[in-house]
This record gives sequence, C-alpha cells and structure tokens, in this order.
Amino acid sequence: MSLIEAKGLRKVFRQAVKEPGLRGAVKHLFTQRYVDKHAVDGIDLTIREGETVAYVGPNGAGKSTTIKMLSGVLVPTSGELRVDGFVPHKQRMENAVRIGAVFGQRTQLWWDIPVRESLNLLKDIYQVPEDAFRRNLDAFVELLGMEEFIHLSARKLSLGQRMRADLAAALLHDPKIVYLDEPTIGLDVSVKQKIRSFIKQMNRDKGTTLLLTTHDLGDIEDLCERLVIIDHGRIIYDGSLQAVKDAFARERTIHLQLGSELAEPSLLFSDLPEVGMDRTGPYRLAIRFDRFRITASEIVKRIISQADVADFHIDEPNIESIIRRVYEGSLDLELAAESPVAASREA
Amino acid sequence: MKKYVSLAVCSMQNTLSYRLSFVLNFLGSFIALLATYFLWRAIYDGQSELAGFDWNQMKSYLLVTFFANSMLSYYSESGITNKVMDGTVAMDLLKPLNFQKARLAESLGSCVLEGLLSAVLISVLAIAAFGIPMPVDGVSGILFAISMLSSILVKFGIVYCTALICFYTTSGFGVIWARMAVTNLLSGALVPFAFFPDWLRNVAMALPFQGIVNTPTTIFLGMSDTREAILLIAVQWFWIAALWLLGRSMWGWAVRQITIHGG
Ligand SMILES: Nc1ncnc2c1ncn2[C@@H]1O[C@H](COP(=O)(O)OP(=O)(O)OP(=O)(O)O)[C@@H](O)[C@H]1O
Ligand SMILES: [Mg+2]
Repeated sequence: MSLIEAKGLRKVFRQAVKEPGLRGAVKHLFTQRYVDKHAVDGIDLTIREGETVAYVGPNGAGKSTTIKMLSGVLVPTSGELRVDGFVPHKQRMENAVRIGAVFGQRTQLWWDIPVRESLNLLKDIYQVPEDAFRRNLDAFVELLGMEEFIHLSARKLSLGQRMRADLAAALLHDPKIVYLDEPTIGLDVSVKQKIRSFIKQMNRDKGTTLLLTTHDLGDIEDLCERLVIIDHGRIIYDGSLQAVKDAFARERTIHLQLGSELAEPSLLFSDLPEVGMDRTGPYRLAIRFDRFRITASEIVKRIISQADVADFHIDEPNIESIIRRVYEGSLDLELAAESPVAASREA
Repeated sequence: MKKYVSLAVCSMQNTLSYRLSFVLNFLGSFIALLATYFLWRAIYDGQSELAGFDWNQMKSYLLVTFFANSMLSYYSESGITNKVMDGTVAMDLLKPLNFQKARLAESLGSCVLEGLLSAVLISVLAIAAFGIPMPVDGVSGILFAISMLSSILVKFGIVYCTALICFYTTSGFGVIWARMAVTNLLSGALVPFAFFPDWLRNVAMALPFQGIVNTPTTIFLGMSDTREAILLIAVQWFWIAALWLLGRSMWGWAVRQITIHGG
C-alpha cells in the first residue's frame, strides 16, 4: 500500500523583485513587482510503507519545499497529495500524529527547558502511552548516546547533540513516516554514524518509512534503497539506488601516463566506438569503457602496441561522482539505464 | 486537554529559568509603582477627594492596577511575538496542537508565577505600609476574584491579536509598544476613568481594554453594587469571546501567509 501519493505536485512562490538602493526601496513601496518561482514544478511521487527514499538534488532544487508540502507546513499551489490517506495541510492534526520531521536548521525542542522535559512534554502532546514512552526513551538514549546531555536545555547543546535530541523528539510517538531534511548537516563522523544506525534500526524494527534529503552521499548509500533526484523542481531520476550503481559500475575509466606519443590514436579502438578517449595532458590519457565489452588489460595491451606506458590506474565509479555528473548535466540517467558509456558521451 | 496543562506547566518552568530577567522586569514595574504612588500623593496633598476618589481608595487603585498589569507581562507577550517573528511558527504547525490554545496555556502558566510573586509583594506592602481596606463582604471578594481572572483572559485576547499583527509588520517592538501605550491609557492603568473627560470615558467603556484594569478596580473599591459588578464581568466575557474569535480568524489568515507564501 502506498503511504505517500503525490500527483503533479507544484509549488510556486511569488518573489518580490526589489531594485537595489534607497530608490529601489522607495519605488517598491508603490509599485511591487513579483516574479513567479516554480520551486516544485509538477512532481509525481509514490512511496510505499517501509521504503527508504533519498531525495537529492543541487541547492535550490526544491527538496525542502517538497518536504514542507508533505508535512503540511506549505500548501501546494496545485496537484494532489495524500499522506496515509490524509491531505496534510487540511487534516493537520491527523497528519501531525503520523509523521515525524527533522529540519536540520530548525529545532522543535523548547530552548529553555531540559531535553528530558521537552521529551516529556511531547509525550503529552502526542498522547504517547506511558510504557511505550519509557521503552522508546530508554532505547533512544542508549542508541543516540544522549545520556550526557539529556539534562541540559536545548540552548546549551552542541549542534550534534541537538540534532540527536531532535531526532529522538521526532520519533518519540512512533510515527509511520519520518521526513529528515539534512539531518547530518555539519556533524562529525561518529555522530553521523550514530544517527545513521539509529535511523536504520527504526526502519528495520518498526518499518518506519523514511524520506531523507541530504548532501552527504554517505547517508544515501548507508540508509536508502531508493534514489529520487530532483533538479529545478522536476524529478529527473526515480529508481533503485542499486540500479544506478549497477549501471555505472559497468563504466570504468583508466588513466594512463605515456612515455611517448601514440603512433596512430584513431586506429586504437576503431572497432569499439563506445570507448571514449580524452587527452588530459601531454602524454596523459583517460579512457572510458564498458567493462563488459572490453577488459582493462585489453586496453592497456592496445596502447602498449603504440606507445610506452609509464604508469596507469583505474577509477572505480562511486555514487558521488555519478550524482555530481547528473547535477552538472553531463549524464542522463534515463539513457544510462540502457548503455552507460553511450549516455555519458552524449554531453 | 492534558497536553495543554503540560504546556502550561512547562511554561511556568521556563519562566523560572529566566528568573533573573523576570525579577528585574518585575522590579522595574515595582519602581514605576512607587513613582506613581508618590506622584499621586503629591497631587492629593491637601485634598481629601479627587473625582470621587479619596486617598485610601487611590492607593488601593494603584495596587490592584499593579497586580493586573503584572499578569501577562512583557515577557509572555514577547514570547508569542517572537514565535511569529523568527519563523518558528512553522515548527508549531508540525505538532498536533491548536496554536491559540497552546499560547493561552503557556500564558496562563507563566501568569501563575507572575501572579504569585506580585500577590506576595502586594500583601506585604498593603499590610506593612498602606493599610488598604480589603473588600468587606464575601460576595464582592468573589466577584473581584472572578473579574481579576477574566481580566487576564481579556488581556490575553488583546496580546494574542496584536502578536498576530506582526505578520503584517516586520518589527515586533513597535507593535508591542503601541499596544502597551493604548492599553495603559484605555484600561485605566495610567489614570482612573473617573478623571477622564466624558467623551474619552465613553470611548474607553466601549472598548475591551477597560476589562483589564477598570473592571477589577471598580469592583475591588466597591464602586459598583452586585448587579453592576456582574454586568461588568459579563462585559469582560463578551470581550473574551469576541477577542477569541477575532484571534482565531486572524490565525487562519496568518496560517495562509505562512503556508502559501512560505512565511
Ligand atoms: N518562502 C519562499 N519564498 C520565495 N521563494 C522560496 C521560498 N522558499 C524557497 N524558495 C525558493 O524555492 C527554491 C527551492 O528551495 P528549497 O529550499 O526547496 O531548495 P532545496 O532543494 O531544499 O535546496 P538546499 O539543498 O539548498 O536546501 C529556491 O530557489 C528558493 O529560493
Ligand atoms: Mg533545503
């Protein structure tokens, strides 16, 4: 059963255009000019119960805007949206008890009372039964290592501590769905690790559905099975993370440092048009190839037949480089599904 | 219901964590009280009665006014305004809470402390220095207590609606200052209504502000009989209801600002 269902979801912001300087400010008082900003531009997204979805895209792509619509903080300009059968911005109360959300830059804890008291208050607000509350609290304190700061007020917490406390606060009422907007932003590796394993455990033990935005690709590889990439408010890829990896795991790049010039470069791979060859410097070559069509040793053998090879190494593709190239527009994932090497040569 | 009670308790705790600024704020209004006390004493010098108030009544008036004003102080008011100004309102939308009820619970929570502190101070003052006559019979005592509680709710209504005005403006201070100035004058906190020219008194009586100071002081001083006192309290409740509804529709409008325009 699908938990989140969005069809043609769109959010248009009216942004005021102000001319610079005092004159502009005065002018703005009388004539206000606006431009429409299509932050989310008609997305379709269906998420089933228990899925873990990474929602990634460059800055300003519309990720936070989408999450705010899903959590009911923003009203969509148009489109249909249901979360567990409810329309988030209309059925606010019903929606609120089903979701948990962490917005990396904001906290939902009370600034001036100890974290423990904040959590207690949330227990009453969400009407969590006492025994479930005890169980969750004990588990969270242990898993997130909150012992050392649970008695402090949120004002006094470090970023990493606050994020852990916020995560606990968001999951205390066992929400079906958790939205995490950059939950690991600015955290050190060990805290990141704690947060990731905590989230993983929640998903595994309780079947919590997860939608996560991040710029940390480690989060994605660690936590998510499904990858959705958004750019300029449009979804440009939606599929399993493994499929992306598989597709690109076929592509390898071999870098060579030559001792002499190639005698006849155009003849080298004339039988294999999908092999790409770039000169990256004098006597330097980068060769992209599909490892199911030609082996690295075959490539090296052919080069050696024309020139001396001083040194070489092979790049393994990682998810980071793949996504970076998608952002830069030098990679089309739809095409990639068929033939990765061809897709990357398109650009 | 329980969630709002917990919220009130937490807000009380929160006020305690600000005890220093809370006490300083309180001392500030106390010094202002002393200043007005001496001012009025100078005015009453050689006069036995002004606008129907003798000096003893004037002293009681000042103390009751101080008590009413110490409720829902600047601190609780700026709490609501800040929420609007710094955008944490969006986080409130994520919780299964009614915004207006939650703010009321928080305000009442901190009122308990504010009320206790000023009640203690006033009792000490009243007994030690002033020798104030308390309302004589039980009925007017009860009516006074009711009008005092209602006064808090009227003030909450006004404070809440003005805080929501901050969605229009970009500065909270200006709005709060304007609200305070208007309230001080039209509630009778500065000068009793009896000193007003007729037209101003009529205007003031037609507005909600009089429910904050004028109603409880009038009842405390026994300047109204039981029937009139009940009528005054009924007027307070009319305003409580009206302001609650106004606040609700203003919030509906404010939510649209946040959720459609993104705050
Ligand atoms: N309240 C708003 N008013 C006007 N424009 C807005 C508002 N909120 C967001 N935008 C615009 O919408 C676009 C998408 O913003 P959004 O915050 O969703 O990006 P994002 O994908 O979360 O980016 P990041 O990775 O930087 O967090 C941006 O161009 C932003 O300027
Ligand atoms: Mg964002």
